[in-house]
Amino acid sequence: MPTLHVLSDSPFTDASLSSCLRLLNEDDGLLLCGDAVYALLADTPQLQALELIPDSIQLYALEEDVQARSIDAPACAQVIDYPEFVRLSLKFAKVNSWL
Amino acid sequence: MKFAIALFAAPHQPSSRRALRFAQAVIAQGHEIVRLFFYQDGVYNASSAVVSGQDEIDLPSQWREFVDQHQLDGVVCIAAALRRGALNDEEAARYSRTAASVQAPWQLSGLGQLHEANQIADRLICFGGA
Repeated sequence: MPTLHVLSDSPFTDASLSSCLRLLNEDDGLLLCGDAVYALLADTPQLQALELIPDSIQLYALEEDVQARSIDAPACAQVIDYPEFVRLSLKFAKVNSWL
Repeated sequence: MKFAIALFAAPHQPSSRRALRFAQAVIAQGHEIVRLFFYQDGVYNASSAVVSGQDEIDLPSQWREFVDQHQLDGVVCIAAALRRGALNDEEAARYSRTAASVQAPWQLSGLGQLHEANQIADRLICFGGA
Protein backbone atom coordinates (compact mmCIF):
# COMPACT_ATOMS: atom_id res chain seq x y z
CA MET A 1 0.00 0.00 0.00
CA PRO A 2 1.72 3.25 -1.11
CA THR A 3 2.50 5.13 2.08
CA LEU A 4 3.68 8.67 2.67
CA HIS A 5 6.15 8.62 5.53
CA VAL A 6 6.39 11.92 7.42
CA LEU A 7 9.51 12.66 9.46
CA SER A 8 9.93 15.66 11.74
CA ASP A 9 12.85 14.86 14.06
CA SER A 10 16.41 15.87 13.22
CA PRO A 11 18.38 13.00 11.68
CA PHE A 12 21.37 14.20 13.74
CA THR A 13 19.65 13.49 17.07
CA ASP A 14 17.20 10.73 16.23
CA ALA A 15 17.31 7.41 14.39
CA SER A 16 13.93 7.70 12.68
CA LEU A 17 15.43 8.59 9.28
CA SER A 18 17.67 5.53 9.15
CA SER A 19 14.86 3.30 10.44
CA CYS A 20 12.46 4.74 7.90
CA LEU A 21 14.88 4.29 4.99
CA ARG A 22 15.13 0.59 5.80
CA LEU A 23 11.34 0.22 5.73
CA LEU A 24 10.53 2.21 2.60
CA ASN A 25 8.76 0.22 -0.09
CA GLU A 26 8.65 0.89 -3.79
CA ASP A 27 6.01 3.60 -4.49
CA ASP A 28 6.23 5.01 -0.97
CA GLY A 29 6.98 8.68 -0.45
CA LEU A 30 9.05 10.47 2.18
CA LEU A 31 8.17 13.94 3.44
CA LEU A 32 10.67 15.83 5.58
CA CYS A 33 9.32 18.58 7.79
CA GLY A 34 10.47 20.35 10.95
CA ASP A 35 14.02 19.52 11.98
CA ALA A 36 13.99 16.48 9.67
CA VAL A 37 14.80 18.85 6.77
CA TYR A 38 18.34 19.04 8.19
CA ALA A 39 18.80 15.72 6.37
CA LEU A 40 19.08 17.87 3.21
CA LEU A 41 22.23 19.62 4.40
CA ALA A 42 25.01 19.34 1.85
CA ASP A 43 27.97 17.04 2.43
CA THR A 44 26.34 14.91 5.10
CA PRO A 45 25.89 11.12 5.29
CA GLN A 46 22.16 11.79 5.74
CA LEU A 47 21.87 13.48 2.35
CA GLN A 48 24.02 10.80 0.75
CA ALA A 49 21.60 8.18 2.09
CA LEU A 50 18.64 10.10 0.67
CA GLU A 51 20.31 10.36 -2.71
CA LEU A 52 20.61 6.58 -2.81
CA ILE A 53 16.90 5.80 -2.46
CA PRO A 54 15.33 4.40 -5.66
CA ASP A 55 13.73 6.78 -8.16
CA SER A 56 10.31 5.20 -7.54
CA ILE A 57 10.34 6.73 -4.03
CA GLN A 58 9.69 10.45 -4.20
CA LEU A 59 11.32 12.71 -1.64
CA TYR A 60 9.50 15.85 -0.46
CA ALA A 61 10.38 18.66 1.93
CA LEU A 62 8.02 21.19 3.51
CA GLU A 63 8.77 24.64 2.13
CA GLU A 64 8.42 26.72 5.32
CA ASP A 65 10.72 24.42 7.28
CA VAL A 66 13.34 24.46 4.53
CA GLN A 67 13.18 28.26 4.34
CA ALA A 68 13.20 28.72 8.13
CA ARG A 69 16.49 26.83 8.30
CA SER A 70 17.99 28.50 5.24
CA ILE A 71 18.61 25.19 3.53
CA ASP A 72 19.16 24.96 -0.21
CA ALA A 73 17.06 21.97 -1.15
CA PRO A 74 18.99 19.54 -3.37
CA ALA A 75 17.61 18.34 -6.70
CA CYS A 76 16.50 15.02 -5.20
CA ALA A 77 13.91 16.75 -2.98
CA GLN A 78 10.70 18.35 -4.18
CA VAL A 79 9.79 21.35 -2.03
CA ILE A 80 6.07 21.53 -1.26
CA ASP A 81 3.65 23.84 0.55
CA TYR A 82 0.68 22.91 2.78
CA PRO A 83 -1.91 22.62 -0.05
CA GLU A 84 0.44 20.18 -1.78
CA PHE A 85 0.93 18.31 1.53
CA VAL A 86 -2.86 17.81 1.64
CA ARG A 87 -2.92 16.58 -1.98
CA LEU A 88 -0.04 14.17 -1.26
CA SER A 89 -1.87 12.76 1.76
CA LEU A 90 -4.68 11.78 -0.62
CA LYS A 91 -2.40 10.58 -3.41
CA PHE A 92 -0.85 8.01 -1.08
CA ALA A 93 -3.10 5.35 0.45
CA LYS A 94 -1.80 5.99 3.97
CA VAL A 95 0.16 8.62 5.84
CA ASN A 96 2.56 7.33 8.48
CA SER A 97 3.92 10.00 10.81
CA TRP A 98 7.08 9.01 12.68
CA LEU A 99 6.36 10.58 16.07
CA MET B 1 -12.56 13.45 1.28
CA LYS B 2 -12.77 12.97 5.04
CA PHE B 3 -9.79 13.68 7.28
CA ALA B 4 -9.17 12.93 10.93
CA ILE B 5 -6.30 14.86 12.49
CA ALA B 6 -4.54 13.80 15.69
CA LEU B 7 -2.14 16.10 17.52
CA PHE B 8 0.31 14.76 20.10
CA ALA B 9 2.46 17.84 20.73
CA ALA B 10 2.14 20.85 23.05
CA PRO B 11 1.42 24.35 21.65
CA HIS B 12 5.05 25.46 22.00
CA GLN B 13 6.25 22.62 19.77
CA PRO B 14 6.46 23.29 16.01
CA SER B 15 4.31 20.29 15.08
CA SER B 16 1.25 21.93 16.69
CA ARG B 17 1.54 24.82 14.27
CA ARG B 18 2.12 22.39 11.40
CA ALA B 19 -1.06 20.51 12.31
CA LEU B 20 -3.08 23.72 12.31
CA ARG B 21 -1.68 24.88 8.96
CA PHE B 22 -2.40 21.44 7.49
CA ALA B 23 -5.96 21.49 8.87
CA GLN B 24 -6.52 24.96 7.38
CA ALA B 25 -5.30 23.69 3.99
CA VAL B 26 -7.64 20.69 4.24
CA ILE B 27 -10.65 22.98 4.73
CA ALA B 28 -9.44 25.40 2.05
CA GLN B 29 -9.50 22.58 -0.48
CA GLY B 30 -13.10 21.74 0.36
CA HIS B 31 -12.42 18.55 2.28
CA GLU B 32 -14.04 17.62 5.56
CA ILE B 33 -12.37 17.20 8.97
CA VAL B 34 -14.49 14.62 10.78
CA ARG B 35 -12.63 15.02 14.06
CA LEU B 36 -9.64 16.69 15.68
CA PHE B 37 -8.20 14.60 18.46
CA PHE B 38 -5.71 16.03 20.96
CA TYR B 39 -3.70 13.40 22.79
CA GLN B 40 -0.70 13.32 25.15
CA ASP B 41 0.85 16.83 25.37
CA GLY B 42 -1.50 17.89 22.56
CA VAL B 43 -4.18 18.45 25.21
CA TYR B 44 -2.48 21.73 26.19
CA ASN B 45 -3.67 23.15 22.85
CA ALA B 46 -7.21 23.04 24.26
CA SER B 47 -6.31 24.92 27.43
CA SER B 48 -7.59 28.46 27.87
CA ALA B 49 -4.95 29.00 30.58
CA VAL B 50 -1.96 29.00 28.22
CA VAL B 51 -0.35 32.44 27.88
CA SER B 52 1.84 32.95 24.82
CA GLY B 53 4.58 35.57 24.53
CA GLN B 54 3.56 38.80 22.80
CA ASP B 55 5.90 38.10 19.91
CA GLU B 56 4.76 34.48 19.56
CA ILE B 57 1.71 32.99 17.92
CA ASP B 58 -1.06 32.01 20.32
CA LEU B 59 -1.82 28.50 19.10
CA PRO B 60 -4.48 27.56 21.67
CA SER B 61 -6.56 30.58 20.65
CA GLN B 62 -5.92 29.96 16.93
CA TRP B 63 -7.09 26.37 17.34
CA ARG B 64 -10.18 27.56 19.24
CA GLU B 65 -11.06 30.07 16.51
CA PHE B 66 -10.51 27.46 13.80
CA VAL B 67 -12.75 24.89 15.49
CA ASP B 68 -15.43 27.51 16.22
CA GLN B 69 -15.34 28.95 12.72
CA HIS B 70 -15.75 25.60 10.99
CA GLN B 71 -17.94 23.93 13.65
CA LEU B 72 -15.52 21.02 14.00
CA ASP B 73 -15.62 18.12 16.41
CA GLY B 74 -12.72 18.93 18.73
CA VAL B 75 -12.03 16.08 21.15
CA VAL B 76 -9.44 16.09 23.93
CA CYS B 77 -8.34 12.80 25.48
CA ILE B 78 -9.78 12.88 28.99
CA ALA B 79 -7.11 10.70 30.61
CA ALA B 80 -4.27 12.73 29.07
CA ALA B 81 -6.02 15.97 30.04
CA LEU B 82 -6.71 15.03 33.67
CA ARG B 83 -3.11 14.05 34.37
CA ARG B 84 -1.93 17.37 32.87
CA GLY B 85 -4.40 19.49 34.83
CA ALA B 86 -6.53 20.44 31.83
CA LEU B 87 -10.03 20.07 33.27
CA ASN B 88 -13.46 21.28 32.26
CA ASP B 89 -16.03 22.44 34.82
CA GLU B 90 -17.50 18.98 35.20
CA GLU B 91 -14.15 17.30 35.90
CA ALA B 92 -12.99 20.12 38.19
CA ALA B 93 -16.14 19.60 40.27
CA ARG B 94 -15.76 15.82 40.21
CA TYR B 95 -12.19 15.95 41.54
CA SER B 96 -12.62 19.04 43.75
CA ARG B 97 -10.17 21.17 41.80
CA THR B 98 -10.34 24.96 41.88
CA ALA B 99 -9.65 25.69 38.23
CA ALA B 100 -11.06 24.57 34.91
CA SER B 101 -9.19 25.49 31.73
CA VAL B 102 -11.02 23.53 29.02
CA GLN B 103 -14.21 25.07 27.68
CA ALA B 104 -16.33 24.77 24.55
CA PRO B 105 -15.76 24.07 21.71
CA TRP B 106 -13.53 21.37 23.22
CA GLN B 107 -14.96 18.17 24.63
CA LEU B 108 -13.17 15.76 26.95
CA SER B 109 -13.69 12.18 25.85
CA GLY B 110 -11.99 8.82 25.56
CA LEU B 111 -9.42 7.33 23.25
CA GLY B 112 -12.22 5.42 21.53
CA GLN B 113 -13.02 8.69 19.75
CA LEU B 114 -9.66 8.50 17.98
CA HIS B 115 -10.32 4.93 16.94
CA GLU B 116 -13.77 5.84 15.68
CA ALA B 117 -12.42 8.86 13.77
CA ASN B 118 -9.96 6.55 12.04
CA GLN B 119 -12.86 4.33 10.96
CA ILE B 120 -14.94 7.23 9.64
CA ALA B 121 -12.18 9.16 7.86
CA ASP B 122 -10.44 8.39 4.58
CA ARG B 123 -7.16 9.54 6.11
CA LEU B 124 -5.85 9.86 9.65
CA ILE B 125 -2.98 12.32 9.81
CA CYS B 126 -0.94 12.47 13.03
CA PHE B 127 1.27 15.34 14.10
CA GLY B 128 3.84 15.21 16.87
CA GLY B 129 7.51 15.41 17.64
CA ALA B 130 9.70 18.35 16.65
